[in-house]
This record gives sequence, C-alpha cells and structure tokens, in this order.
Amino acid sequence: MTMDGTHVAPEPAPQPGKFPVSVGWTQAAIAISSVMVLKTPMNLKMNIEMHGPLLIDFENRAFSWSTPLEHFPIDAVHTGLETIAGGPGAPPLFELPGKDLDSLLWQIGLNSFDGKPAFWLSPGERYRLTRWPNLTQHSHDMSQVKMIAVLGNAYVSTEELAKYTAVPLTEAQRLINALSLMRILSRSAEAPAAVVVPETAAAKRQSLFGRLRKRLGRTDG
Amino acid sequence: MSPGLHTKPAVVKAASGLLTDMQGASASLTYAALLTDDGFDVARLPGETDGTRFAGMASSMQALGDAVTHELKIGASEYIIIASGKGHVVQLRVPGQELVLSALFDNDATVGHALAVTRTFAQKMAELLA
Amino acid sequence: MAEHVILFTGPMGAGKTTSIQSLSEIEVVRTEANNSERHVVDKETTTVALDYGEILVDRDEKVRLYGIPGQQRFNFMWAILKKRAKGMILLVNSDAPDPIAEMIFFLDEFRELYDRGGVVIGITRADVVSGPSLDDFAEALERTNPGLLIPVFTVDPRDRDQMVNVLLALIANIEMRAMFGMITEAETA
Repeated sequence: MTMDGTHVAPEPAPQPGKFPVSVGWTQAAIAISSVMVLKTPMNLKMNIEMHGPLLIDFENRAFSWSTPLEHFPIDAVHTGLETIAGGPGAPPLFELPGKDLDSLLWQIGLNSFDGKPAFWLSPGERYRLTRWPNLTQHSHDMSQVKMIAVLGNAYVSTEELAKYTAVPLTEAQRLINALSLMRILSRSAEAPAAVVVPETAAAKRQSLFGRLRKRLGRTDG
Repeated sequence: MSPGLHTKPAVVKAASGLLTDMQGASASLTYAALLTDDGFDVARLPGETDGTRFAGMASSMQALGDAVTHELKIGASEYIIIASGKGHVVQLRVPGQELVLSALFDNDATVGHALAVTRTFAQKMAELLA
Repeated sequence: MAEHVILFTGPMGAGKTTSIQSLSEIEVVRTEANNSERHVVDKETTTVALDYGEILVDRDEKVRLYGIPGQQRFNFMWAILKKRAKGMILLVNSDAPDPIAEMIFFLDEFRELYDRGGVVIGITRADVVSGPSLDDFAEALERTNPGLLIPVFTVDPRDRDQMVNVLLALIANIEMRAMFGMITEAETA
C-alpha cells in the first residue's frame, strides 16, 4: 500500500533460473588440488560433455582420456565428478602406465581461474620453482620459457614475474597456477624481492635468447 | 669392422714384435705405439709404459686430421707430423686396418727418415695382419 | 664475431652426435671411428675427438655446438673443450646400465659449466625403455647436489623441435642466472 492509499500489486517472487557458471576446468583444478593432498589415496573420474571420461590416478601419477592433450578443450563443460578410493587393494582405474599426469595438470592449470590467482594461493606471496617442468612434453611458448627461467632462479611475485619478462599479468598468473597445481612451486610470504644484477638487466636488451629463438623459428609467445 | 684388435693376443704379440724391429731399424726412435682407430692401446715401445692416454690422444689426432682434409676437400689424410724442439711425432694409418702407428723420433733423425721408417713399418704391419 | 659455445656431454651412446646434427645448420664435423667394444655399447661407431656444429644467429653471431667423446679415455679432450663453453647440455640414455650414476658423474666432471653458465639435462630413449623416472633423476640430483635447480627433460635427440626446446631453455636459464647474480664468472658477450 503506498502512502496515498493506491493499491499496488505485490512484487513478483524471484524466478528460479540458470546462471552462467564456470563448471569447467576451474572446478576440476579445485577438485584436483583438494584430492591430491588427502591422506587416504583417492582417484578422480570426471565426466566431460562431448568427451569421454577423464580418469586420474594420483598415486601412479597417470591419467587416461580419449581426448589428446593437443586438442585440449578449453571450454569443456564438466557434468560430473566422482572420487574413487585408491591405494593398495583397490582395482586399477585404467591400464597403467597411462599418460603422464604432469602434462594434464599443466593444461588444466593454464586454463583454469581465467587468469586470476588459483584459490589456494595467497596474496603477497613470492614463488620459486622446486623443479623444472619437462618442457619437451608440455606444449609451451617462449614467454613461458622465460618465466620458468626466472622462477628457477629467484623468488618472485606474480607481478614481478610479469615485469621481468614483459608479459601480461594474466599470462604470468596462468603459469603460476599451472606450476602450483603441478606442485613444483615453492610459496613464501617472507622471501624478499630478488636482487637483479644491474649490468645484466641492461644486457637483456641484447638477449641471445631473443635473437636465437627467432632464428630457430620460435616466434610464439 | 675390427672386433677389438687390442684384445687379440696374436695381434698384440705381432704388434710388439714389429715395434721392436722398428727400434732396430732406427736408432732415433724414442717411443712408438700401435693403437686402434677408436683409441685403444695395442702395443707400445718401451713396453712398460702405460700407453692408454697416448693411444686416446693419437686416435683423436688421426680423426681430426681426417676431419681437416675432409673440410678442405683435399682427399684422405696420409700422415700427420707434430714437430717439437726435442723431436718429431709421425703418425699414419696401417693400410687396410683400423690401426694407427704413431712414433716419436729424436732430432738426430730427419723428418724424411722418420716418415720413411714409419711408412715402412705400417706397411709391414698390414702384411702381418693380411 | 660474437660466439656462444655450448658443450654436449654425457656417456657414449646418449645421443650427443645426433642431437648436434639435429640443431646444426652446417654439416656436422664428426670424428668417428669404428667401435671395437661392441659388447660394452652396441654402437657401430664412436666419437674419438669431438663433434662440431653451428647455428648462425645473424651475420655477426654464432652458437657453436661441441660434443665431447663420451668415453673416459678421451678425458683430455674434456679439459680442452670445457674451457670454451658457456653452457652444457648433458645427455644420458635411459638404457645405460646406471643412467643416474652417469648423470652425476658428468655433472661433477663439468661442474664449472654450471657455475659459469648453466646446464640442462636431457634423458634420451626414455620412451623406448623403462629406466629411472624423471622424478628419480631429479631426486638423485637434489640428494647429491642440493640447491642446484637443473632442468631435466626427456628428449629425442633426432627430433629438432625437441632439441630446439632444450637449447632455448638452456639459453633462457643462463641469462636468468646471470640476471639474478648466480653466475660466478662474469660472462663477456
């Protein structure tokens, strides 16, 4: 009832609706990162629309999927997720050795969280590699090689990483997410900013890497 | 393809004998070795020395000589001479075998003499193994 | 002419000569002799002095690729070739009798190349045989050389694309090591 007494129809009840939700690789990455740290061994089965099921055996660091990673579907929609008990005595999820899990984690890590920090990372951290990824097995570009080389030699934040290698922040973040999901990244809230040797920073402008990659036909990234 | 001439007692014996004869033919011979193409010591004179390292080096020299003549497109490398203040090393292949004869002569010998002796005995070695 | 020398090391049969051939823009200078120890390593020939290849970066700049002879009796060549190099690609074949020991041995022998520049390790024939896993190699490295973070990749030395990835990773790593002050000898470009 308004102040002058005119009768007004009540507001309609909210309609239930379908909201665009990214039930895609971000969910998968969250599930994977949670399952990987469980004390009881657990494996994953993911049902993915228009693709066969993706099976992950964490203990054997392997996965099985009919879709080859060269055709990784960035926008795949996940329709279901199932955790399956692993460990000794449990029947194998698929015939071993399967495919190397790191290659899958690389793709998932790069293609989840839409260029923003993975939810398990904290602000104000610096990162450093504990192990290089096996680059001959993961499709990568030259910016990623540069970033990995930085991370292999210093503790850097995502912003610093982007600055040192002149790549967009989102690309640096995607790489950090991927390496973190692969569990080859050390995180530190206390590590100070890395010290850069001044004359080599200038020499970067004449970087052999830059010239050699062009000569060898790697103009990607 | 040589199946390890350095492992064959008959070959080692023949090689040692040949080097002794070579010493007899040239008073200025100071050191000599027979080695496989891939750097294994077959026999050396004096016999008590450890020829392992020299065998490796001589085979590297031989292969580098071949690489140089190949690069310059001048045919096969025939012999290699290293001249120093105290003597000459002369080195060449045993014809038809995967063996190299390498010999050090002191400066009493001319390079020509050193080369002639080394050639002669490389040929003799080839005949022994034929 | 600016030049950068990369040394390929590792045991006989790891694929050093092959990998240089994959990368080199010139016909590779080889110094092969017939192998008289077929029972030890089943290869017809073996490198007895060095391999040499080149990549011409531009008119005034070259990357020189040198391969050592892998057998110990040629270690005098290792001393000669070590001096010139700024970085190293250490190849080990998965089907060697003890690939991890080989990796550690050559890393020790050529440690100054790590200190002066950088190293990348390539495990060859990993797809052909089931030898130690990459994790095994990485763990052995961490155990024997704690704090050295050396890239370890599987690689097919016949595959040019893979070898390019290995070489570029090495150069990137050397440049970043220099940038963050991890190189002990000043490198003069």
